[in-house]
Amino acid sequence: MTQTDAPLIEARNITKYFGSVIALHDVSLSVRRGEVLCLLGDNGAGKSTLIKTLSGVHPPDTGEIFVDGRLAQFDSPRHALHAGIATVYQDLAMIPLMSISRNFFLGSEPTRSLGPLRLMDLGQADRLTREALREMGIDLRDTSQPVGTLSGGERQSVAIARAIHFGAKVVILDEPTSALGVKEAAVVLRFIAQAGDQGVGVILITHNVNHAFPVGDRFTILDRGRSKGTFAKGEITAAELLEHMAGGAELDELRHELEDVVEVPGTPPPSGSAAPAP
Amino acid sequence: MKAPRWLAGVAVLGLVLAACGTQEASPGDDDGNGDGSSRDLRIVVVTHGQASDPFWSVVANGVNQARDDLGIEVEYNAPETFDMPAMAQLIDTAVASEPDGLVVSIPDADALGASIQAAIDAGIPVVSINSGSDVYRDLGILTHVGQTEFEAGVGAGQRMAEAGVTNTICVNQEVGNVALDLRCEGFAEGLGGVPSEVVAVDLADPAGAQAGIEAALSADDSIDGLLTLGPTGADPALAALEASGRAGDVQIATFDLSENVLNALDAGEMLFAIDQQQYLQGYLGVLIVTQFAQYGLLPGGGNPILTGPGFVTPENAAQVIELSAEGIR
Amino acid sequence: MASAEARPVDERVRRVGLTRTLLNRPELGAVTGAILVWVLFAILAGDRGFLSLNGTATYLEVAAQVGLVGSAVALLMIAGEFDLSVGSMIGAASMVMAIGIAELGWPVYVAVAAAFGFALVVGFINGYIVVKTRLPSFIVTLGMLFILRGVTIGITRALTGRTQVPGVHAATEGDPIAAIFTAQLGPFDVVILWWLVIAAVATFVLMRTTFGNWIFGAGGSAIAARNVGVPVARVKIVLFMATAASAALLAVIQVLTFGSGDVLRGEGKEFEAIITAVIGGTLLTGGYGSAIGAVFGALTLGMTRQGLFFAGISSDWYQAFLGLLLLIAVIVNSWVRNRATRGG
Repeated sequence: MTQTDAPLIEARNITKYFGSVIALHDVSLSVRRGEVLCLLGDNGAGKSTLIKTLSGVHPPDTGEIFVDGRLAQFDSPRHALHAGIATVYQDLAMIPLMSISRNFFLGSEPTRSLGPLRLMDLGQADRLTREALREMGIDLRDTSQPVGTLSGGERQSVAIARAIHFGAKVVILDEPTSALGVKEAAVVLRFIAQAGDQGVGVILITHNVNHAFPVGDRFTILDRGRSKGTFAKGEITAAELLEHMAGGAELDELRHELEDVVEVPGTPPPSGSAAPAP
Repeated sequence: MKAPRWLAGVAVLGLVLAACGTQEASPGDDDGNGDGSSRDLRIVVVTHGQASDPFWSVVANGVNQARDDLGIEVEYNAPETFDMPAMAQLIDTAVASEPDGLVVSIPDADALGASIQAAIDAGIPVVSINSGSDVYRDLGILTHVGQTEFEAGVGAGQRMAEAGVTNTICVNQEVGNVALDLRCEGFAEGLGGVPSEVVAVDLADPAGAQAGIEAALSADDSIDGLLTLGPTGADPALAALEASGRAGDVQIATFDLSENVLNALDAGEMLFAIDQQQYLQGYLGVLIVTQFAQYGLLPGGGNPILTGPGFVTPENAAQVIELSAEGIR
Repeated sequence: MASAEARPVDERVRRVGLTRTLLNRPELGAVTGAILVWVLFAILAGDRGFLSLNGTATYLEVAAQVGLVGSAVALLMIAGEFDLSVGSMIGAASMVMAIGIAELGWPVYVAVAAAFGFALVVGFINGYIVVKTRLPSFIVTLGMLFILRGVTIGITRALTGRTQVPGVHAATEGDPIAAIFTAQLGPFDVVILWWLVIAAVATFVLMRTTFGNWIFGAGGSAIAARNVGVPVARVKIVLFMATAASAALLAVIQVLTFGSGDVLRGEGKEFEAIITAVIGGTLLTGGYGSAIGAVFGALTLGMTRQGLFFAGISSDWYQAFLGLLLLIAVIVNSWVRNRATRGG
């Protein structure tokens, strides 16, 4: 495998303990250029822990991380950011009271000189923000409005656009659609797909298969700290994904229990009741 | 943009209250009715003592009595805490309002000097009361109504020495007021030059003051005399003596009166209290500046008009108690 | 992906006029409040000196004194922290000045440098403790409030036996450096100019520099800001040093103007400064505010304090009226802001 074919980021055999709890055990994944990898799993499966390992919040106890084929060890989130791994958290991405442009360039403000003084170039910040967003398919006339005036989906999209604009090779999204309505979730998902088109690698963490399935190229499933496999889009259906996530056996049990009480579509009506045909 | 109606209501209420408050300060003030020149006079009093302070409320009563007796308009102003810049600004405000006379107390001549000078330059007659007996002349003030602090302190020291006291504490409840510092210094002088340990307490915190005095008492067994400089120091001191069980061995005396002080005198628990008769300071201060403004009359030839020290002892305490209930002593 | 085609304009963005843009500014409420207060006192006390030149000079001086500190405190509050120790710092720096000049015979510039040096050190300590321990700055600076005040009283009494140190006027007669802090133009004190200059600098830093963007970021969400590389700790420490320095500046001006220092100087100023910032549109929770607004907040406070005296309100009721007027000013302020940002 040559360097140019190497995945943007690859995690091999990651294990992480918290005291006596095994949060992750022997988990591997990889993301290539332009690929959207969905990391699925129910609550408590270890998705957040895996992400924190990849983004430098805590180092894995065993296992290795490779960026562009080279071994990497992150001391801090800032370190991971410099290496091109950007993480967008659900509620900590944007500051509602600040304008969109100020948010966009926070920490990397464009400057101009006025005699001996260095000022923040607000005009350029507005312009660059508009351009960067337009490139990603968001058209906002006025980027000096507070972020608070944007909908949740737009905020997420701007956060992702910011990460990409500042050179992220891999963008990790932690449950971006969990708090959003249907339309807003669609906005973010469309945006994610476009990001993939631009060559950025995306790791999308979610517990919602319906959101993951349309945009994902590959799917990795975590269940209680272990990986249950990685599947490409053509290899699996949405229903199968769901079964893997919840654990097929459990879902069957649930179905059986419910059958005794209510009418579950696609199954015979509960015994002992004269239920009319739907 | 429509304003909520309740906001307009609040604004109107505010204006009404403000208008009422304004009139309260000017009873019997008929606009332009022309008879009796004293009716049109307006005097402003600026002191460093808040009307919530028991000592100063007696001064304010004297001021108000003079206002009623003379039929003039008088305003009494003071900053909320001991704050010299704020007081200087109040004097500036008073000067800008062009009163017919100004009555001030001078706890800090350096800080207030410029503002008082501006008043005199503007042609406003100025009389000082209560503090500033040693600086008023240099500032060009007409006269001073009050008690000279150092001498009053000496008087207190002498009386205590006569009672056989040798080792004393002086409790200062208004740290920052030069007049009080002078009292303690005079006290030490009157005792025969024996220095008196100064204990500072916060006049707004009686419990803390009491604790501070108790601590000083227990730190030194040989203390047999205690002088406090005001009722907000005296009340906690009496309580401290009780609590520490030293009430029998320690002679206590104080400056200025309060209900507790008078009761203690009446019960023989206190040696004496120095009454600077602050009612007179308020009354005479307003009277003198008014008569100067009207007729150019000035008693005392520029010398301070002394309202104290008056000594209240267990012998005459009962009579004073009656007057104190009326806010006169 | 079609990136070169013209995209449909976002239909939710409409042309907003200049009026709406103005209404959105955090200062609007403060300006409105200040105008209302001015009109109120012009009616009640216009003929009693409020509208005279001297009268205007007195309330401007009061406004300037609290506004000097208010501008720095506003910036710190926008960054999400409080400094309750500024009042005690005014007292402490006053005593450094007064004792230095009147007792120790220092030249004025040495005393001024010492006062500022002291303030910068204490400010640094405040900031360092807050960022290292992550304790609420309210608590940390409250402790410093007591420590500073106690040290001031203790050292002053130990050195001079008194609580008030006069004699500064005599020692600074004709000193050119002293004149910078005490000059007058007619009835107007130079402190007013200092106030406006400091406010202009604060506004410029806040709105036009990178550091200012960091202030908003640190106050809006310290975690998010840190994640994108903003040195939040450094920003906060610098701001704590700035509030302490502004307190020292006020102390220097007051000692040189009033000719003395006393250990109680500045008591209560910390709350006045916060009120100034809040009337000016700064949120108590941080992340939003305005230094220009703090100017109008200081103006409102100054006009209210002195206006009540001009209006002849009986001093028994003074505090009640002050509180009522401030409450009304803050309510009007926040109502205007809500209407503006809600739209319509």
